[in-house]
Amino acid sequence: MPNYYIQSYIPILMLLAVVILLAVGMLVASYLLGQHRPTREKLTAYECGITPTGDARHRFSVKFYLVAMLFILFDVEVIFLYPWAVIFKELGIFGFVEMLLFLVIVLAGFAYLWKKGALDWTKADSGGL
Amino acid sequence: MYQALFFLFAASAVGFAINLLIQRHPIHSALSLIGVMGSLASLYLMLGAEFLAVVQVIVYAGAVMVLFVFVIMLLNADKEEPSDRSKMAKYLGLPLLFLLLAMITVVIYRQFPEDAMVQFGDFPGQTAAIGRLLFRDFLLPFEVISILILIAIIGAIVLAKKEP
Amino acid sequence: MPPVTPVHYLFLSMALFTIGVIGVLTRRNVIIILISIELIFNAVNINLVAFSSQFASISGQTFAIFVIVAAAAEAAVGLGIIIALFRNKETVNADEIDLMKW
Repeated sequence: MPNYYIQSYIPILMLLAVVILLAVGMLVASYLLGQHRPTREKLTAYECGITPTGDARHRFSVKFYLVAMLFILFDVEVIFLYPWAVIFKELGIFGFVEMLLFLVIVLAGFAYLWKKGALDWTKADSGGL
Repeated sequence: MYQALFFLFAASAVGFAINLLIQRHPIHSALSLIGVMGSLASLYLMLGAEFLAVVQVIVYAGAVMVLFVFVIMLLNADKEEPSDRSKMAKYLGLPLLFLLLAMITVVIYRQFPEDAMVQFGDFPGQTAAIGRLLFRDFLLPFEVISILILIAIIGAIVLAKKEP
Repeated sequence: MPPVTPVHYLFLSMALFTIGVIGVLTRRNVIIILISIELIFNAVNINLVAFSSQFASISGQTFAIFVIVAAAAEAAVGLGIIIALFRNKETVNADEIDLMKW
């Protein structure tokens, strides 16, 4: 049983444990040690020091959805590019052509998004859906 | 060590999944799903699938969940009120669920006698092996999936974009 | 402790799959229904990876990558449909979307 594979990830596991302990410990310590004298001012949402206007629960622009779309597009592209890059030399010119074909098809989606205005963020928009 | 880690991550995956089911607010469900994804990524890592663990975190916990959270923000979806469930679901639901689980358990034990072991091998050069399979044997599926992505992107934009 | 066998992974997968199906059947919010479908995809993936490791064959992991990409496409289109629905019906509850029911 090749246990050394698991053992090579033990530092990451330790990091995970330390991070969780640290986060929980800080919250618990501040809850136990700190003084609690809440006032109305202290309980308002922190907005860089100015008085908050309205609340955060309004509808966001559909532009965010287009940006998330771009994110998915390039994410999918990169997970196929990575194994391709690893064996690039042994695939040779054939692998280069097939990846080029893949990229052309995927980037057609990018061109469509671009044309639909996913990239011009400042264009006047009434907001909402 | 391996067993303890397996049960830790399996339990956390199932725990997060149950939390996903009982939370009323969609954003809490989405965050629970990220917990499930993280636990499963750890399990993939333990099975020797390093590349897949990273893909799971980058694509699923990254891109797909960002899309979900954006849409929840976009629709400003609030807590859902439970509907008045049907009587039949209330009384028949749980017994039928346990019946289904028992049936699957019987099938699993019939198919897999005890002695089948997972050899969580570290195949050396896994990413290279995935690449070789992907770009030689699965060449057509690989090219077709790019068309799938293109269609999905165009379809999603046509559906979501406001008509001028 | 007994060694971890494929049966353990099958049971984990069964649990996640069942929870996902219960989510699809019982929740009203369409976004949560889609989230449950993602959970079902993950339950399938854990099987693919476990048996890829068991049989020392890399094909299972390659399938899992295809499943992940297909799930990303599914989420994109599904959420687009939800946005279009919300624009027309102003609701995300599955039982209020009954235009084709009579």
